[in-house]
Amino acid sequence: MAKSDDCMRILQGLLVFGNVVIGMCGIALTAECIYFVSDPHGVYPLLEATENNDIYAAAWIGIFVGFALFALAILGIIGIIKSDRTLLMVYIILMLITFAFEMASCITAATHRDFLTPNLFLKQMLERYQKSEPINSNDKWKTEGVTKTWDKIMVQNHCCGVLGPSDWQEYTSAFRLTHSDADFPWPRKCCVIDAQGLPINLDGCKLGVPGYYNSDGCYDTISGPVNTHAWGVAWFGFAILCWTFCVLLGTMFYWSGIEY
Amino acid sequence: TMLPLLLLLLLPAAHGTVEHVGYTPFLTRSPVLEGLTTASTFVLEQPRCVFEKYGNADIWLVVALEKTATAFNNSVGPGTPGSAFQNFPDSAPAYMTLNATLANYPCPKPAGDITVLRVGSETSCTEDVTRPTCNGPLSGPGPYVVKFLALEGSEPVAETDWSKPIILRTAKSPNSISTTNGGHGAGMIALTTILSILFAILLAGLVAML
Repeated sequence: MAKSDDCMRILQGLLVFGNVVIGMCGIALTAECIYFVSDPHGVYPLLEATENNDIYAAAWIGIFVGFALFALAILGIIGIIKSDRTLLMVYIILMLITFAFEMASCITAATHRDFLTPNLFLKQMLERYQKSEPINSNDKWKTEGVTKTWDKIMVQNHCCGVLGPSDWQEYTSAFRLTHSDADFPWPRKCCVIDAQGLPINLDGCKLGVPGYYNSDGCYDTISGPVNTHAWGVAWFGFAILCWTFCVLLGTMFYWSGIEY
Repeated sequence: TMLPLLLLLLLPAAHGTVEHVGYTPFLTRSPVLEGLTTASTFVLEQPRCVFEKYGNADIWLVVALEKTATAFNNSVGPGTPGSAFQNFPDSAPAYMTLNATLANYPCPKPAGDITVLRVGSETSCTEDVTRPTCNGPLSGPGPYVVKFLALEGSEPVAETDWSKPIILRTAKSPNSISTTNGGHGAGMIALTTILSILFAILLAGLVAML
């Protein structure tokens, strides 16, 4: 049925505006996901070793979806201004495919965030940190990644273990197999380190005298960036999708109102 | 008849009396130490102002299991098989270590100083039988009891009470850590539901268009 010209003009304007917003959000999503994939906080080796790095897959999908949204938004603006049925049909179908991918990315990020509990990191740290006899080269590479990452995190953030130095006392570990409890109640990196990289007071560190060892756990410094990453991908994606939903519905309505 | 009586009176004197100093060794209370007890070591407060009358004595730490403490004889000397670290707890009921003199424990204790004895800190001599007074790491969780014994020459002259039992930490296996999360968060469920509904509506719209 024919719609009044004014109605269609207003809808046209709204849809162009909607597509402009989608285009900009697409660029923002791409930028945000590139930032997360670049892993500025260096926690990727820990996630990779837990075999739970789907959060990174979600971010990778986000990069490409963001780009696709930008390209399709341009297509949509052209299609709406020219009122071309074919172009708009192509636009709608491709947008639906992009919608599906972005949906997958959001759900993956949100689901896998729930897996990253303190216990997961604790178990992995105890089983892999300074493990001396790797089974194969894959195991060796993961072990090195975990060990280097933990050393860096513990020294830079002045923390020890996941919940605290007592992690090393409460549980046996691969570290404990090669380092005696009397000499190493906890790893040397848990000690307060001076400029040369040596503990300022080794006996104080072994005794656990406040001021010579790191008494806090590292879970907060690990989970902080991971949470930001997961929620950034999941909820920003969700917001974009809600907006895209409205624009797509409007476009379908507009398409059905274009006269042949 | 007087002679046997005199001999009886002399006999205890020949062995010497061991003064029982009214001090109970305890784990360090201040400052609070993270490593107060580990799986193989523990930290005792030094016995300051306890052996003031024994300036010439060697003050030894005697470590025993709670159940073997009564079998320890003060006269067995340090560095003998009966008190060697390497023989504890199999053939020796206790071992003697951490030899010190009164000069090592000045009285009064300066405020702010950390005065501790870490039992179990020497890891290099655990198997070395030429070092029977090794302060080696303990191999079980205990419970252990300790006391200080002052020897002049080879004669015990003073001892403290046995401490309260000290239990060391036992480590669990990391396999006991459960990594299964307790279900999905509410946010994730809401997100999935809403997105699925939106997608379904869009698909329906597409079909209606065609």
